[in-house]
Amino acid sequence: MYNMWHVARWEFRNRFRSRSYLFNTFISPFIFTMLFLLPLYFSTNQQPTGVKLIGIVDMTEEKNMADRLSSALERSYRLENQLSEYGIYTISIRNVPEYRELQRDLKDVQAQYDSLNRLHNRIKKERTAYFTQKKLPNRQFSLDRSYERLREVREEKELVGIELQRYKTAMDSMYAREARVIADSLILSRVLSAYLVFSPDFVKSGRVEYHARETNDLLDSERLEKTLQRLIVHSRLRALKIEPRKVRDVMRPIHLEKYKIRGRDEEEWNVYAQFYGPLIGVFLLFIAIFSSGGYLFSGLMMEKNNRVIEVLLSYARPLEIMGGKILGMGAVGLTQVLIWMAITITLTVSGLIPGSKSLSYLNFTNGFYFILYFSLGYLFYGALFMTLGSIFSNEYDAQQVNQLLRMVAIFPVLLSLLVVINPSSLWIRLLSYIPFLTPSFMILRIPLSDQPLTTDIWITVIIMTVAILLTIGVAARLFRVTMLMLGKKPTWTEVLYWIRRSA
Amino acid sequence: MQSNKKKSENSPLLLKVDSISKDYNGVTAVDELSFTVEPGHVFALLGPNGAGKTSVMRMIMDIIRPDKGAIFLNDEPRQRLKRKHFGYLPEERGLYPHARVLDMLIYFGVLNGMARRTAEIEAIRFLDRFGLVDYSDHPLHYLSKGMQQKVQFIAALLHKPDVLILDEPFTGLDPINQIALREILEEYKKEGKLILLSTHQMEMAEKMCDRICMIHAGKKVIDAPLSEIKEKFNDHTYLVRADHAMETLHNTDGVEVLEAGSDGVKFRLNRAERIPEILKLLSAKHPVKLFQMLEPSLHDIFIHLIRDESEAKHV
Repeated sequence: MYNMWHVARWEFRNRFRSRSYLFNTFISPFIFTMLFLLPLYFSTNQQPTGVKLIGIVDMTEEKNMADRLSSALERSYRLENQLSEYGIYTISIRNVPEYRELQRDLKDVQAQYDSLNRLHNRIKKERTAYFTQKKLPNRQFSLDRSYERLREVREEKELVGIELQRYKTAMDSMYAREARVIADSLILSRVLSAYLVFSPDFVKSGRVEYHARETNDLLDSERLEKTLQRLIVHSRLRALKIEPRKVRDVMRPIHLEKYKIRGRDEEEWNVYAQFYGPLIGVFLLFIAIFSSGGYLFSGLMMEKNNRVIEVLLSYARPLEIMGGKILGMGAVGLTQVLIWMAITITLTVSGLIPGSKSLSYLNFTNGFYFILYFSLGYLFYGALFMTLGSIFSNEYDAQQVNQLLRMVAIFPVLLSLLVVINPSSLWIRLLSYIPFLTPSFMILRIPLSDQPLTTDIWITVIIMTVAILLTIGVAARLFRVTMLMLGKKPTWTEVLYWIRRSA
Repeated sequence: MQSNKKKSENSPLLLKVDSISKDYNGVTAVDELSFTVEPGHVFALLGPNGAGKTSVMRMIMDIIRPDKGAIFLNDEPRQRLKRKHFGYLPEERGLYPHARVLDMLIYFGVLNGMARRTAEIEAIRFLDRFGLVDYSDHPLHYLSKGMQQKVQFIAALLHKPDVLILDEPFTGLDPINQIALREILEEYKKEGKLILLSTHQMEMAEKMCDRICMIHAGKKVIDAPLSEIKEKFNDHTYLVRADHAMETLHNTDGVEVLEAGSDGVKFRLNRAERIPEILKLLSAKHPVKLFQMLEPSLHDIFIHLIRDESEAKHV
């Protein structure tokens, strides 16, 4: 077994000094982390550089939504120079000729209606006078006559009222239509960032349309939604005749302080920090396992193809070579993990990781688990790569299986949301017991779980150990037979035959 | 037991291959093959492509195990022996293309039980001998094919093995380096170490080897000293250079003229004892400039034997 250390040393030294290792240790994790964090950072911390103009299509009777929204947004969102981050622009269609004509007609009808209304009131007043002055001569005649006039005027007023309503409806629908056309063109010409359409009954229905070039601008839509929520609830409370002071009191913002229960201790909960941290951890674990496993695999394929393996087999026993390679590459991966840990500790201690107070999972226990699952995962996948590397002589065939293994190993990331919701659900637990998935799932589950996963950790460690022993056993049986075979793709029957025969 | 070991260490080396067989998925590569390699001789394992030579060498190197039979070095089973006793130059050369020459040789030396420093010193010594010392810090892919071949040879020799197994050692070497290699092998032979080589260059085998084992389809065809084989296949062919010798030979009973050319007349005698009589006859009639006995070349013996074997197998 003395040669095992020499093989391990050689593999470690050669790989540790390679450019691909430096890339995988420093550049790849940086890129991965940035891929996660940058969109998150920009969506939450991006400093606004200018005022965003929000258009308003206000179809309410009061036509005061622009003012209300403007002051509400100004109170909450300001630029560095204290100007409001959002400007409100009421979309007007006054210059549209059809609308102006309609407006002129409406004015006439409105004047007519007002005049009839005044007349109607005057007649009512006269009738009241006739009614109260009982000694008035021809009182009955005056009452009858005024009644006749009142009826006529009322009928005419009702007809003009209907006409007035018709005009108003026509104007509203024209406004709704034309205002949208104007607002759309303003958005396309990038004058407006977005526009809102307030229907006449928006307070009752609670529906406000939001139109923007990109509806996935989560920050703006979320802010507007929050502000409108406040305004609508405010209006509803006012409609219930609640005093303004009381309304202000009721509308006082609520801040939810989130705490996560961990046995007796509680910790502040930040969904981004808690979720993205373990996810980055899984990716790092994936990089560490598969870069070391990949080196093992490609090294083996190279040695097999250029026949170094025959020379090595003449110098050392197959088990020494296999063990040395697994150990050497394991040391490469472990060094990588330790470098990352050192970087993480340095960044945490120096306060360069923002919100590191919420990153309570950055502790030594979890560091130990990371190393544990890296070692188990690496040994398992390393032995698998060793088996595949020895069976396949064609790099293309071997790479296909390699890709499949990578896809399987990264599978837990696809289910990460389910793990966040319930890291100890039955399905997640069962999936964690599959050796291919164990390391990734456990690295995700341990920091996300509400309670310690001691039982699952023991179960998975036992399962992984058994799986590793079995895989190494198979690899060892195949290694001597298959390493010298080139140019022929073995069938699975042959592989099984070799495994049985070497037993 | 210790004294036994000591005794075994002091006694001359002897590699014994005892009835080994190897089967690959129903195809017999080596069939009940036995031979012995003794010190002071270069042992050649010859045979056509696919005869099983590489399999035999790999079994001696314990890279693969025989299905039947065993291999012994001084009565010690091969599997119990440390690999450092053996040096191997495989037919398909295998080196790390991106590793530095010296680093790689040290690595191979260390794997063979050498101390790191000793391996370094020995590697530099060998590199110097082969004119490669200036390349010791270069990556291997920087070297020409011939130079890589020499590095591979150094890797096999570096740890001074007791048994040297060389598969096609002369391939890719220029004549000067072939001579250098022969010199080293001669030294090895003198030191009483065991050398087993396989080659398709029959001239080289004829020049270097003392004992030949020819195999075909995994079976032994012949295993004897080279001189004995040559004697056995001697067909009493002679070359004479003399004016008008052809006519005299044609008219002599028991003589078969094979070929007449500018270098003389090649003929075969029915009995070797008749040489004085023929020489007397020729000298009486013509001035004889040259009379030479022609030995069969290893190349011819190889072709003859393998063809016979193939035909016999076919029948």
